[in-house]
Amino acid sequence: MSEVDMAVIKPEMMKSYIWLQTADGSIQQVEQEVAMFCPMICHEVIQKGMGSSKNYAISLPQRVNPAMLSLILDYCRFHQVPGRSNKERKSFDEKFIRMDTKRLCELTSAADSLQLKPLVDLTSRALARIIEGKSPEEIREIFHLPDDLTEEEKLEPLKNTTDDPRIRLLNRLYAKKRKELKERQKLKNVEVEEERVDDRSVDDLLSFINGDNGDSKGIKTSKSKKKNRRRKDQQKNTSANEVLKTHNKELNGLNSVCCSAEVGQKSRGGVGATSNLNDVEDDIFTSKNELDDGDIDDEIDPALKEKIDREVEDFARRLNSDWPERMQEILSFGHERKPVHFSLNGNGSLRRYANSEQR
Amino acid sequence: MDFTMILPEECQSLIMSFTSPADAFRSAMVCQALRSAVDFDAVWEKFLPSDYKSIILGSSSPSSLLSLGMKELYLQLCFHPILLQNGTMSFQLEKGSGKKCYMLGARALSISWGDIPHHWTWTPQPDSRFPEVAELELVWWLEVKGRIETRILSPNTKYAAYLVFKLKIRFTAWFRERPVTLNVNVDGVVSGEGRRVSLDPRDEPRHVRERGDGWMEVEMGEFLNEFGDDGTVEFSLKEIDTRYIKRGLIIEGIEIRRNA
Repeated sequence: MSEVDMAVIKPEMMKSYIWLQTADGSIQQVEQEVAMFCPMICHEVIQKGMGSSKNYAISLPQRVNPAMLSLILDYCRFHQVPGRSNKERKSFDEKFIRMDTKRLCELTSAADSLQLKPLVDLTSRALARIIEGKSPEEIREIFHLPDDLTEEEKLEPLKNTTDDPRIRLLNRLYAKKRKELKERQKLKNVEVEEERVDDRSVDDLLSFINGDNGDSKGIKTSKSKKKNRRRKDQQKNTSANEVLKTHNKELNGLNSVCCSAEVGQKSRGGVGATSNLNDVEDDIFTSKNELDDGDIDDEIDPALKEKIDREVEDFARRLNSDWPERMQEILSFGHERKPVHFSLNGNGSLRRYANSEQR
Repeated sequence: MDFTMILPEECQSLIMSFTSPADAFRSAMVCQALRSAVDFDAVWEKFLPSDYKSIILGSSSPSSLLSLGMKELYLQLCFHPILLQNGTMSFQLEKGSGKKCYMLGARALSISWGDIPHHWTWTPQPDSRFPEVAELELVWWLEVKGRIETRILSPNTKYAAYLVFKLKIRFTAWFRERPVTLNVNVDGVVSGEGRRVSLDPRDEPRHVRERGDGWMEVEMGEFLNEFGDDGTVEFSLKEIDTRYIKRGLIIEGIEIRRNA
């Protein structure tokens, strides 16, 4: 008798069943729609015509023992019903995976051999959550893993990527490109700087304040300022020191001037003087800036530097209490520095000269 | 029984791909079997951001990067930031989480008075990743702003912005006990006054810290990026009390990275 006849003879068996055999030899029959939820079983039935009777039971992979098969079929039985909501399915899944780690591993393996991807994902994620945040020692304990790494390997958490010749070449190319970009930028900046630096006004300012002997010294210093950007030179450092000392003297001179300027603030003359002083301050700051670049820095006493910084700053604060926007205006409209001549008048206040002879 | 005997390597690597890069690095220290399971391309491709290919192709880096193994590519992107937008912005991954991390270079920022040499100069610095950094000469009005689109950031991530800078040794007096205002605003939602922090590490040893690459950083603020649909985030550094001068600040940029 054929299988078809057998089915006809047993009318009470309305449902179709698939016959499955696990590696231990035991055979069971499973509702067709449940079993067919597993792609591997589906394939066997459709492509190879297996599973329709006890003699033609589908041999399941070795990784699927009867206990695992039972779990898998529970999963399939629930999920193959089409009408369930996502919430229901999620709730089922959460309860379903509550089992010990060993069973989870076996279940993952079994589901994988039956190609039941949704279940593989579910159990894998559960195992991932167990691994997350654990130390290597803890992971070894939970999963009974051997401690078989060499001492060397334990010290090297990452495979040394710089060993890969492709990566080494890549990094060398990066370094080269970055260097090129910087060289180009440097050249551009140096050119631009040399155009803009206007030393003469500052020197004149210094020499005026220091009297005649400051003249040649000032000019020498300005040239060395530029060269100092490129090389260290003892001689230039000492000259810079001297300039700083005179700088300090300047401040004292200007401080007294400032007082008189404040007194005279209301009058028109006072107003003029204050604005002049703002320019002075600007030029002093710029000269200080140039001095401080490059290698001169190391030679000067840091305490003195801070003292100067603070003094200049206090001075500036006093000056600028009434003229913030005006200052910003002056600085932004004049892209070149305004060269300024100063002389001390009899009464101790500064008088500004026209700058026409400067250029 | 150990689970690596039960599970085929493909399953092990699938499980690893559901963890995080940090977990993967730790797992590589467990045993030989896990170490080799962690090496699978499938694991690291999962850790890379989904748009990694287009980011690399849009960068100044060679596209041969894409021919690397996934793990190598991941590590490369962690330790060697790539330059975007004409060398004004850098991109890298945060090693433990794989989250995207960007640095807006000084050239990508809006700096008030930045184009006037009296106030700011632009110079190359050997320890900068960008071709140029911004050097403050002198201003009364200090205002630096940056912005970034949330859609390019990693979703479901809490981010913080950091000002990456140095103080010229000579001028640390200028910022001593002179706090500046740092602020982070998500798409116009004003998140308060911002924070007043001094940039001088002597004033704020907890907030101003060394980065280890030659620069210092100070946190400007934080924000949550959920789905990348919050528009633009703006960062600002401001100190506009014009009674006193600001000098000697060197800015490399603003870094936006995952906040633990």
